[in-house]
Amino acid sequence: MNWIRRHIRPEQVRELSLLLLIIVAVIFFGSLIANYYTSRTFNRIAASVTIITIVAVGQTLVVLTRNIDLSVGSIVGCTAYFVGTLLARDNSLNPFLAVLIAVAMGGGMGALNGVLVAFARVPSIIVTLGTLAIFRGLLVDLSGARTVTTDSLPGWLVDLPRVNIVSIGEVNVGALFAIAVCIVILFQLGTTFLRTGRRFYAIGSNPDAAELIGLPTRRLVFIAFVICGALAGLAGFVTLARFGNITVEAGRGLELEVVAAVVVGGVNIFGGSGTVVGAMLGAIMIGVLEQSLFRLQISEFWRDALLGLLILLAVASDAVILQRLRALWARGELRFATPPKEKDEVST
Amino acid sequence: MSDREQPSAETETSQRAAVPVLSMRHIAKRFGATQALEDVSLELFPGEVHALLGENGAGKSTLIKIITGVYQPDHGDILLDGQPITIRNAAEGQRAGIAAIYQEPLLFPDLNVAENIFVSHQNRGEIVGWRGMFREAEAILAKLGVAIDVRSSARGLTLAAQQSVEIAKAISLNVRVLIMDEPTASLSAHEVAQLFRLVRDLRARGVAILFVSHRMEEVFDIADTVTVFRDGRLISTKPRADVTPRSAIADMVGREMGLLQPRAPAPRGDLLLSVKGLGREGVFTDVSFDLHRGEVLGFGGLIGAGRTDVGLALFGIEPATAGTIVLNGKTIAVKSPRQGMDFGIAYVSEDRRQLGLSLPMSISANITLPILLRYLNQFGLIRLGLERETAETFRKRLKIRTDSVDLPVAKLSGGNQQKVMLSKWLNTKPSVLILDEPTRGIDVGAKAEVHAMVSELAAEGIGILLISSDLPEVLAMSDRVLVMREGRQMAIFDRSDATQESVMTAAMGQSAELVAGAAA
Repeated sequence: MNWIRRHIRPEQVRELSLLLLIIVAVIFFGSLIANYYTSRTFNRIAASVTIITIVAVGQTLVVLTRNIDLSVGSIVGCTAYFVGTLLARDNSLNPFLAVLIAVAMGGGMGALNGVLVAFARVPSIIVTLGTLAIFRGLLVDLSGARTVTTDSLPGWLVDLPRVNIVSIGEVNVGALFAIAVCIVILFQLGTTFLRTGRRFYAIGSNPDAAELIGLPTRRLVFIAFVICGALAGLAGFVTLARFGNITVEAGRGLELEVVAAVVVGGVNIFGGSGTVVGAMLGAIMIGVLEQSLFRLQISEFWRDALLGLLILLAVASDAVILQRLRALWARGELRFATPPKEKDEVST
Repeated sequence: MSDREQPSAETETSQRAAVPVLSMRHIAKRFGATQALEDVSLELFPGEVHALLGENGAGKSTLIKIITGVYQPDHGDILLDGQPITIRNAAEGQRAGIAAIYQEPLLFPDLNVAENIFVSHQNRGEIVGWRGMFREAEAILAKLGVAIDVRSSARGLTLAAQQSVEIAKAISLNVRVLIMDEPTASLSAHEVAQLFRLVRDLRARGVAILFVSHRMEEVFDIADTVTVFRDGRLISTKPRADVTPRSAIADMVGREMGLLQPRAPAPRGDLLLSVKGLGREGVFTDVSFDLHRGEVLGFGGLIGAGRTDVGLALFGIEPATAGTIVLNGKTIAVKSPRQGMDFGIAYVSEDRRQLGLSLPMSISANITLPILLRYLNQFGLIRLGLERETAETFRKRLKIRTDSVDLPVAKLSGGNQQKVMLSKWLNTKPSVLILDEPTRGIDVGAKAEVHAMVSELAAEGIGILLISSDLPEVLAMSDRVLVMREGRQMAIFDRSDATQESVMTAAMGQSAELVAGAAA
């Protein structure tokens, strides 16, 4: 017990138990579904996890600062459609430029959220609920309800989902999935080793104290929303690559899955605690559930209901379990040492 | 400067420098009609613990907020090392070497201890070097003789441990002026000893410390210089050797009685309420008193002494966990406000806006709210006519100044809001009325009217518990005064023995002989 206490923090216990839960879920569905343990299952889960993960990383930053971004689904839809239209019109467009446009466009939309939340002081749930509808509305209006089709897109983009980095037997690690993992690693390092990253935790943990010691709280909240938007833009590009056919419905309802991933991944909805890796584990959990329920031919509506239930369970257990764990950890550890001699030790 | 003595040989390591590190000159601050600070000049010297004493509202907090940049003074200058400075916020103050530690430390619960220590450092670069940071934090805490795991999150640390972290933070920032605002209020005796060791250590390093506390023995234990505030003015600054608890208390009180007329003593009625050994775990203990019909029992003491908690326990908002309450000869247990009301107890909250009134609702609706059931007709609908009638009665009786009882309470002045709240509880026809700070923040005229109302209600035979931090008010209105301090009952004075000195001495926790001495 003492060894565990020294080396693992209560917050990490949560992530480890989620990992365990994923394994249990895989074993459970494997016993229900014939031919479950195949490369096909893995590849499908990886594909659906990719998009949720990329968006969930950005969402994690926003939630850490005690905010929420509900507009991510609409940003994904807008960027996927817009970049898709550009590529369909000009097949020779530089691939990197296309990615850059998607990221910049998402970042711009995130910046609008950020300005309204951080500087106009409108609650984020209101702002992003508004922009969720506005972005989607603009998309429907500007597109004239036309569709981007796979055959109009350049070949490199259509082939992208099938590009593999590593193949172990029949299990393929696709380039897109690898990008998502890289982003997770990058942001995990950033939120651990960069001062700005730690400050996201600080302002969510105690906004008053953050203000008092002069942290640039507004700027940090703004940055969180811009990053979240930019990653949603990237996810829009990935969506375009994966599906090819983009309608005005693209990315609709994604915010539910993303918020579920973040919360199930152990990010405190009231800010201040949680990790990017945890959010990815949350995304994997949701990917496993979605694919498995799809294979069990359970209707889409039940899947959404289950996601909702999962969010409620995660938030409820977060409060109870973490409190218990912390109490267990704190016991006997945080006392003063044996009182030293009364004489003042005058130090140098 | 004349009553400052040259460095004493008491602590060789803490020679007082001739130059103050921080001086405040002629500071004044006004909030609306209240002059919170008037012409205050104070100097803090390196290696000196400077204690600040004063009643609630004497201006200590305002001064602290001006030093830390939360408020800007209306007049006067602040000089750091002889140079005038303007401190616009706490971060600027910290950069200038001024930090404050409050009763409730302001840590980031989700960050670990080491991060909390270094969070406001500007010069550590963009990349967090965890190993180095843990090592440095451990070194600082070890030097302080405090064993806290620097890797654990700050959530769940005891208050004492949190304060140690704040002090470690101050040390790591090379703070030169440290303000400690009632740091010992929630600490145990052992933790206080630990904290004082740290304070002495800081003093030996040449830090100037401004120490605010309501505990006299602590002030005399740790301070080198004692300054007393009263009503926004600096009354005296003296070396500790020249101050006695009695002289300090004499400086703290001596407020003008002003226009307050002592209430005419009334004959004491039958025993109404008898409380024995009342307590609520972790909040207050062992409060015992009798209350007779027509009697006003004043509750004196400083804010946070537990007086409000006794009121909340009697009314059932936060029920007592120990002791007995006997009302009209019957032992009762009050577990909820609903029960409290049924027993004929009413509690007029100190917090008008949050707990007392529904501001957007009309005057009449506010008055009938606690006993709305009695205003329903046979269909379960509210009889608005009857409601208005009740409101009109109280409007006349308490002289509530308004055009109509249908106006929202938010439109009224503070004094008239207070009267509406009083009406609301009088309408429940209580036999015991608990008034918590009934005149705070209302003007002189309204105050006099509330006082007249209290006298009238007592004359009608209602037993009144008057909780007030306005000492002259308690003394003028009460037949007897119960004094509390840190959740304990210190004394009950009869009217003839209750003076500003005797009550304040008990409220500051001085011994009985001192009480007698101060009263003499």
